[in-house]
Amino acid sequence: MAATKSTKGKAAAAKNSKAGAKDAKAKSAKKAALQGVHGHHSRKTRFSVSFHRPKTLRLPRDPKYPRTSIPHAPRMDQFRTIVSPLNTESAMKKIEEHNTLVFLVDIKSNKRQIKDAVKKLWDVQAAKVNTLIRPDGKKKAYVRLTADHDALDVANKIGFI
Amino acid sequence: MPGKVKAYELQSKSKNDLGKQLTELKNELLTLRVQKIAGGSASKLTKINTVRKSIARVLTVTNQKARQNLREYYKTKKYLPLDLRPKKTRAIRRRLTSHEKSLKTLKQRKKDIHFPQRKYAVKA
Repeated sequence: MAATKSTKGKAAAAKNSKAGAKDAKAKSAKKAALQGVHGHHSRKTRFSVSFHRPKTLRLPRDPKYPRTSIPHAPRMDQFRTIVSPLNTESAMKKIEEHNTLVFLVDIKSNKRQIKDAVKKLWDVQAAKVNTLIRPDGKKKAYVRLTADHDALDVANKIGFI
Repeated sequence: MPGKVKAYELQSKSKNDLGKQLTELKNELLTLRVQKIAGGSASKLTKINTVRKSIARVLTVTNQKARQNLREYYKTKKYLPLDLRPKKTRAIRRRLTSHEKSLKTLKQRKKDIHFPQRKYAVKA
């Protein structure tokens, strides 16, 4: 008796639960339609007194078109940095005694560019470069060559001896 | 040493050729400048001007070609780079386009159809 009762009870319970599930679904649908579905957010608890800017997503650049159509070729190339060599008496002295060449150089160039330019143009390695700006507005560069180059030979090769 | 660089000859060259010619010309300019301080002859000194202008010509042709190619490439696209867009003046660029000016509301279009401006003539 008890067994049958319990099975009956189980069946009934199963039926009930099925009905109950459908019922619950219907009830929640009704609630959502009437009240809207956003009602469950609680207020965030704050643990610090000060408010800090929340970190948001930062996307990298992905342009739909380049702003300048042709990117410019490098403007300070070796031809622009070095204007001409100097062959004044004091410059000649530098060539003979200190193994340095003296150049007039673009005023916007820096020592690294001068070193590079001398290397590219005449295959000469510079040990160091000193620069100054003359009173007439041009930049003068003293380019000391490494010991394995002879300034006099290079000057002859360049052609201004 | 090319005698005189002519623009219409340059137009037929390729981009690499033009680049090579550019470096040649720049090297020539450098040697001329060296000769200037080493006491060059008068002919060498006048050549400096022609070489500078030749360099300008080569650069002009290089840029012309590059921009033309780019314009063809962008013909099918929606957005142009800013330097390929018409320059005109700032105010003109901000005006309504002629299409935008011609737009009318549906109401106005109906009025125009049904009540156009009539012209009358008096019989003499």
